[in-house]
Amino acid sequence: MLKQKTLEQTKAAARRNKGGRSAAFYNNPEIRALGYQLLLVLGLGYFFYSVISNVLANMEATGIKTGFGFLTASAGYDVLMSLIPFEATDTYGRIFIVGFLNTILVSVIGIFFATVLGFIFGVAHFSHNWLIRKVAVLYVEIFRNIPLLLQVFFWYFAVLATLPSARQSLSLGEAIFLNVRGLYVPKMVGSDLFWVAEVALAVAIAGIFVLRRWAKRRQALTGQIFPVFYTSIAMVIGLPVAALLLTGLPFTVEYPELRGFNYFGGITIIPELMALAIALSVYTGSFIAEAVRAGVQSIPQGQTEAARSLGLSEKRIMSLIIVPQAMRVIVPLLNSEYQSLVKNSTLAAAIGYPDLFNVFVGTALNQTGQAIETIFMTIVVYFIVNMVISFLMNRLNNAVALVSR
Amino acid sequence: MHKKKILAFTTLAATLVTGAASVQAATLDDVKARGTLSCGVSTGLAGFSEKDANGNWSGLDVDVCRAVAAAVLGDADAVQYKPLTAKERFTALVSGEIDMLSRNTTWTHTRDTSLGINFAGTNYYDGASFMVMKNLGVKSATELDGANACIQAGTSTELAIADYFRQHGMSYKAVTFDTSDQTRQGFESGRCDFLTSDGSQLAALRVGLSNPSDAMILPEVISKEPLGPVVRQGDDQWFNIVKWSLNAMIEAEEQGVTSANADDKRENGNPANKRLLGTEGELGTNLGLNADWAYNIVKQVGNYGESFERNVGMDSPLELERGLNASWKDGGLMYAQPMR
Amino acid sequence: MREFQPVPARPAPVKTVGPVAWARANLFSSIPNSMMTLFVMALFVYFIPPIVDWAFLSANWTGTTEDACVRDGACWVFVKAWSYQFFYGTYPEEEVWRINLMLGLLVLVIAASFTLPKHIRLKASVAAWLLLPLVGIAVLDGRLLGLNQVTTDLWGGFTLNVFMAAASIIVAFPFSFLWALGRRSEMPFIRSVSIIFIEFFRGVPVLSLFFMGSVMLPLFFAEGTNVDKLIRVWIVLIFFMSGYMAEVFRGGFQAVPSGQYEAADSIGLSYWQKILLIILPQVIKVSMPNILATFVMLFKNTTFLLIIGIPEVVQTLQTALSNSYWLGGHALEGYLFVFLVFWSSCFSMSLLARRIERQMNTDKRG
Repeated sequence: MLKQKTLEQTKAAARRNKGGRSAAFYNNPEIRALGYQLLLVLGLGYFFYSVISNVLANMEATGIKTGFGFLTASAGYDVLMSLIPFEATDTYGRIFIVGFLNTILVSVIGIFFATVLGFIFGVAHFSHNWLIRKVAVLYVEIFRNIPLLLQVFFWYFAVLATLPSARQSLSLGEAIFLNVRGLYVPKMVGSDLFWVAEVALAVAIAGIFVLRRWAKRRQALTGQIFPVFYTSIAMVIGLPVAALLLTGLPFTVEYPELRGFNYFGGITIIPELMALAIALSVYTGSFIAEAVRAGVQSIPQGQTEAARSLGLSEKRIMSLIIVPQAMRVIVPLLNSEYQSLVKNSTLAAAIGYPDLFNVFVGTALNQTGQAIETIFMTIVVYFIVNMVISFLMNRLNNAVALVSR
Repeated sequence: MHKKKILAFTTLAATLVTGAASVQAATLDDVKARGTLSCGVSTGLAGFSEKDANGNWSGLDVDVCRAVAAAVLGDADAVQYKPLTAKERFTALVSGEIDMLSRNTTWTHTRDTSLGINFAGTNYYDGASFMVMKNLGVKSATELDGANACIQAGTSTELAIADYFRQHGMSYKAVTFDTSDQTRQGFESGRCDFLTSDGSQLAALRVGLSNPSDAMILPEVISKEPLGPVVRQGDDQWFNIVKWSLNAMIEAEEQGVTSANADDKRENGNPANKRLLGTEGELGTNLGLNADWAYNIVKQVGNYGESFERNVGMDSPLELERGLNASWKDGGLMYAQPMR
Repeated sequence: MREFQPVPARPAPVKTVGPVAWARANLFSSIPNSMMTLFVMALFVYFIPPIVDWAFLSANWTGTTEDACVRDGACWVFVKAWSYQFFYGTYPEEEVWRINLMLGLLVLVIAASFTLPKHIRLKASVAAWLLLPLVGIAVLDGRLLGLNQVTTDLWGGFTLNVFMAAASIIVAFPFSFLWALGRRSEMPFIRSVSIIFIEFFRGVPVLSLFFMGSVMLPLFFAEGTNVDKLIRVWIVLIFFMSGYMAEVFRGGFQAVPSGQYEAADSIGLSYWQKILLIILPQVIKVSMPNILATFVMLFKNTTFLLIIGIPEVVQTLQTALSNSYWLGGHALEGYLFVFLVFWSSCFSMSLLARRIERQMNTDKRG
């Protein structure tokens, strides 16, 4: 690439030096380039001009309302699930935010479990157990090759819809309930001293970073290995629990209970969210499994052998030698898989999970009839979310990329 | 030969890509030139517009399309059905993709005045209602406080139910589904306590349950949903044709003219029969149609009563009562403006 | 002299062949391994018999109406009765040879692009691919060839999924190639327009593009013109695909060694000669597995057309499910059928992609 550029430049320079004598002006590559671009500008300009004037004329003729005024109008319909308080009398603008948060929620859950599934099945491909290897292949080949829409339907209508009704819920210790209406788990409601525990959690997380640096230095100096992973887990769980005990358990637990038709209280995870998150995780997980397999396979066998000859355990070979190298192949693939997961979350419309697309391009568009505004706003949001993912993953990619010295 | 091919290709490209040029002008001329009526219907709604295993369309809404085709072209089968989703139906009509829309569309003030369309009448008086499982022990909609509702997305029911619950100081959770079949599955699995939709659809959904006798429809009707065919604004002649095609079906029932006795009534009937069927008077000419326009409708499609019984009434799996949709002579709301 | 003492014989080796040894090595090599094996086997034993019973042993196979489904198992009669529509939509039965002809042509062109003699392969297959969509529209519509017209509202079913996917990717091919070139261009404006275009169509959900095609695009055309819905969606799909394929080609361009560019320059080829004769054939070759993968993605995404009411196979299934004479709830049978059709076609395409990839790898070594 670099070489080619210099070549083009030298060529251009050579022509310039000769210039004036033999070559006509239209043979000058720079003027040509200018001409091409001018053509493109004109073409695009005409295209946008005609589209915009057509849109305006059409809207005028059909009497469709325009503008973003509808965002402050009352929506008049309810949304199934909302992370912020919402009532039917709230505005379309608030519905937009509700939908956006729901999209982010399902995307984050989906990305997390897709990554977990993908890595498990990707590594399972190299298992010593024949059956496990075959299960890994089966998983990838089945779920990768079925349209996601069918998978969403499958989880929602064939699996989750067969759960028992609200009055015959499956329950775990009268605290967690599972039925066709969703999963109900208890919620911790903190009182005045609860902030101590929150601070303790923050301290624990900060402590992990300090611990890691310390452990690394100690290993460099003395060669001794410190069990960072287990200590971190102990810190994250231990510190907040200790804080809670010291402050005298300043919280109450709100259990879900059956009142009338439904369970109330606690946290409700609706089946639409579960079905969509499962479908997205399983589908994207199969692609990530392939990426992981490709990544691990790209590591020469010699690396494993060299690590063994140094006396590293199998676990350490995986975590210190194979995975960091494989990440170079995996991360760029993860980037595009995460982005397509976010885009695919629009299939919420098929089962009625109230994501941005469903509440906005679905219901709001239908009620207001303002196609251009609603679709435009939605597209911009997905575009920005994907840009953010791309940015973060590129940072990660730089971190794992081969540093040439 | 070569020139012919180029000509053919140009016409192909013209009709495929740039389409029929003048939308605003005479839809009647376009339809006649094309030889078929392009009619927007639902993608699948039991009793109203449904496709059978052989690909033939039938239903109460489909019969309105067929009636207009019979009136204009003399052939009820000369219809191109364009299945449309709820979201795109008005765009399709306004942009000229279809000549008329007959897709269980509720006639509301907002739609009639702000979307550039005109409603040409009502072919079914409907109202949103509730269906519950009998074992829930609920006898009235007022006992549904805190319940989950299965709703089909993009219907006017979505707003009606919100109003109803707010008015009665009750709360509910709306679980919306994309199609009626999914709504039924959601209800059957117990995802919601009740299913709300237009009464006609509730009947269809109930028949679709694996055990229809387990479910019952509550007595409350919470909204008015007059459904009817729609045309775009700016073509009054076409508006009249669709309006009077529907009226002719209703009028035929009032006069007792059916597809079986139309031939006889045409020759030997009373003056009103003869005027309707085109042996007397100028009704067809005034619309810009042939004199036998209404005869074709009745002969090929049947009168409104026949269409009703065949598609949603006792001769169909839905077994709906006539109720509000009976002729005004029998205490219903079906009332044709005088044909004279 | 010390007496000769033989070293005691080693014990017989653990059996390494035969089913028992195989199972020990591959299924029960350690305790966690054995547990996992047993768990997976238990899952199979638990789930498979009821499925077999439902789908085969107590299924209903004969009849033509819903009344024929009297047994507990699957009602395959439903799938049988609607199978024509699942495949061909409402395309008239006496004209269905046209669809079959086009399917045949599609297969023929695919086969030809791999088997024709090398010296004409590239030119012939490129020409065949570019002509295919035109021939397809002409044959399926019929007017151009003097056949009866079959209007687009009658097209549908699984073949519509195939044709929409194939027609979009083929037409997108040249465009995406231009976009990829534009993205590599040194002209700043052309480059930024290309980047914006590519990133836009890759960054937004395909569902929102379909909505654009169905409710937004009609507003874009001059007043009084209207474009068939299928054509509008096709246009949108072409844009969408050219964004994706442009990125595939960009990868392909990067895989071509810069020596190839320099060699072409040094023998005095013009820009387009260099690109079309030297670079493009190599780009297509290295991109082939990715092109196929993109096609599989597109093919699966055509099911989303259901959301805007295009009668592709899932939409047809839902129409069938809402028919008042088939209200008995045959969703499971229907979806299973669609699942099998999609899975088998996508799986065979991914097998093909893998084979091509392997072939290419051997080329590189040789």
